[in-house]
Amino acid sequence: MNHGPLVFLGLLVSVVCSWAAVVMVPQFQVGDQGMVRIEETGQDYPQAPAGLARRGAEVYRANGCQYCHTQQVRDAGEGQDLARGWGARRTVVRDYLRDQPAMIGTVRYGPDLTNHGIREHDRVKLLQRLYNPRWVMPGSPMPRYPYLFELRRVGPDGGSSLNALPLPEGEGPGAGLEVVPTPDAEALVAYLLSLRADPLFFEVFPPPAPKPATNAEPSTLTATNLPPSP
Amino acid sequence: MSSRPRHSAEKRVAVEPLDAAALERLALLDRVARWPVLALVVSGLFWAVIAGGLQVIAAIKLHAPGFLADTAWLTYGRVAPAAANLFVLGFGIPMGLGVAAWLTSRLGSVPLAWRGMMLVGVKAWSLGLLVGVVGILGGRGTGIEGLELPAFALPIMLPGYLLMAAPVLRTFAQREPGEVYVSQWYVLAAVVTFPWFQLAGTLVAVWFPLRGVLPAMAGAWFLHGVFVLWFLALALAVVFYFVPKLVGRPLPSRNVALFGFWMLIIAGPIGGPARFIGGPFPAWLPSLGVVGNVWLLVPLVAVAVNLLLVLRGQRTLVKSSNALGFTVFSLAACLLWFGLNIVNSLGFFRHHTQFTLFTPGLDWLLLWGGFGTAMLGAVYYLVPRLMGAEWMRPAWVRMHLGLVAGAVVVLVGAHLLGGWLHGSALRDPTVPFVDVARRYIPFAATGTLAWLLLLGANLLLTVQIGWLLWTTHGASCVPEVRSWLRPETREVNP
Ligand code: HEC
Repeated sequence: MNHGPLVFLGLLVSVVCSWAAVVMVPQFQVGDQGMVRIEETGQDYPQAPAGLARRGAEVYRANGCQYCHTQQVRDAGEGQDLARGWGARRTVVRDYLRDQPAMIGTVRYGPDLTNHGIREHDRVKLLQRLYNPRWVMPGSPMPRYPYLFELRRVGPDGGSSLNALPLPEGEGPGAGLEVVPTPDAEALVAYLLSLRADPLFFEVFPPPAPKPATNAEPSTLTATNLPPSP
Repeated sequence: MSSRPRHSAEKRVAVEPLDAAALERLALLDRVARWPVLALVVSGLFWAVIAGGLQVIAAIKLHAPGFLADTAWLTYGRVAPAAANLFVLGFGIPMGLGVAAWLTSRLGSVPLAWRGMMLVGVKAWSLGLLVGVVGILGGRGTGIEGLELPAFALPIMLPGYLLMAAPVLRTFAQREPGEVYVSQWYVLAAVVTFPWFQLAGTLVAVWFPLRGVLPAMAGAWFLHGVFVLWFLALALAVVFYFVPKLVGRPLPSRNVALFGFWMLIIAGPIGGPARFIGGPFPAWLPSLGVVGNVWLLVPLVAVAVNLLLVLRGQRTLVKSSNALGFTVFSLAACLLWFGLNIVNSLGFFRHHTQFTLFTPGLDWLLLWGGFGTAMLGAVYYLVPRLMGAEWMRPAWVRMHLGLVAGAVVVLVGAHLLGGWLHGSALRDPTVPFVDVARRYIPFAATGTLAWLLLLGANLLLTVQIGWLLWTTHGASCVPEVRSWLRPETREVNP
């Protein structure tokens, strides 16, 4: 241990090996995965997100929603994700092929959003949630995102913009003002509505129920080959 | 492992009282290292204060959703990663390198080499970091935890790092012949491995991102590597330096220390995937991480046996020495981190802690409890020696120790306990999510208090260093600065 170069070499080998094991080997194993054909729908999965949703993913990343929300569902043995209704199955590598980057998250200050598009279809409710989460969920600690909206003066004839956000009774910025979502807010909501990872393919089928007997068992083989007893 | 150490570094570290010539030599080394080390320490402290401010904002936002909500730049999802990056890269790297440079010069008994390079390097590093963090606050973060800095930051930072690190390696290469001391191994490990972690991680996660979930894994690899091989390694370097030195007993076993060191180096960097147990990865990958983490049991025992034997029966000494107080606190935090990190990879425990406050709590235990306090202890020891002046008030040093220790205990305690309750609520599907949030929010709020304490503590140190600079160099600077302000008095001469 008194030879600097030896220590240096040892350190380098350790870093390179860990790098190979943790990043490169998985890349060789799953890096060239492609889409799969889902038999029920006849469609390939995962599909590239529609343009607006793709832009919404950028908004999601830029505003760091992933520091409070995960997008990964664990199996029943690992946690209560399935019981909480966050998905019908666990998520696997293939679910994220189209995500750039995949924001799987590490902390759940808020609920998992992997399958949010299945639970929620109401665009207005989501916009309201972004403007003030307490409008849709009393007591919510989720931050507000008023900067994704514009405040506009209502026109002189009392009419409001077509896309103005419907406000809950007695709430809002005040008389004479309306809340209009920015394109970013619309994109983010499109993204949230698009979130789903539910198709079933071979990696994620539930493990088959144990069969009573298999072909490999010599006893059964002989048994089936025997002529039926009279 | 030569049997007859000539200029044994351990001897210098340990028992014998130094003669006048040796003391003079040390004083010379310290004087030579003064400006580069001070520049790195001050820069680390500067970023720690900025990061502390941002972290307080982030912590408040966790329990007050309307707080500063109108500004996009200050939304939770930007402030939190900005603060984390500043703590790791702004505080951790320069502060660690400053202390590492000083240790290398002292333990090798040679003057710090290439000092000007360090001064340039720390500026480049800070500039790159500033640009990157402004990028995160402006919404250009990469979205990959641990590697959030936008692609353009690293090309500025990495040369800066190399300029700061090369002098440390150069000084190490020029050391006096003889045994290399434990602390020197750890310093070498940290300084050599860090740029690889950052470069290799950024390469596949940011510059040429792999598809799907693999960049996230690269981020975890980077984070865990830096936590073990930078924060833990440098904390141990400092602890291994100060504990035997200040207690006045040599390490019981160099071989055990050596064994522990290599076990840490081998197992440390593969623990990262354990952050994603049950996640969307090939199943063997998180298991590999668990193996790596459980393996840390070996270095845990090796470190604990060696140092606790030195410390046995030294309670009064630990209480009376500031540097030792900080160091022992750091050692305790490191050992606790080791232990918790191991049990946290085991199923029965992790089922309660995954995706909860526990995760950041564990990181902060190592970052502030282990690394931070070790560095602060070293700073309190080395800065007066570099400057040739005493601290303003010894009582303030004690106060700082109290503040930091208090902050770490409150912060980590709240997150670990809160994390457990958070996890238990998550595990009960009948509890609606707002009620899950109600369970963890009191603990998150306690965290805010701790971050405020820590911010105050770091400001206290800033004031003290500022005061020290003022008393030693104020007298010579003031006339100079005055003359800049009144140039005409200079120009009267023909
Ligand atoms: C500080 C943490 C935090 C941040 C940051 C955050 N959220 Fe939330 N979010 C929560 C909490 C807590 C809840 C649960 C309480 C509730 O329903 O309001 C929640 C709930 C939600 C829900 C409802 C989920 C469901 O299953 O009902 C959606 C959708 C959501 N958040 C989207 C977002 C988006 C989009 C962003 C980024 C712009 C974001 N969140 C940022 C904490 C956060």
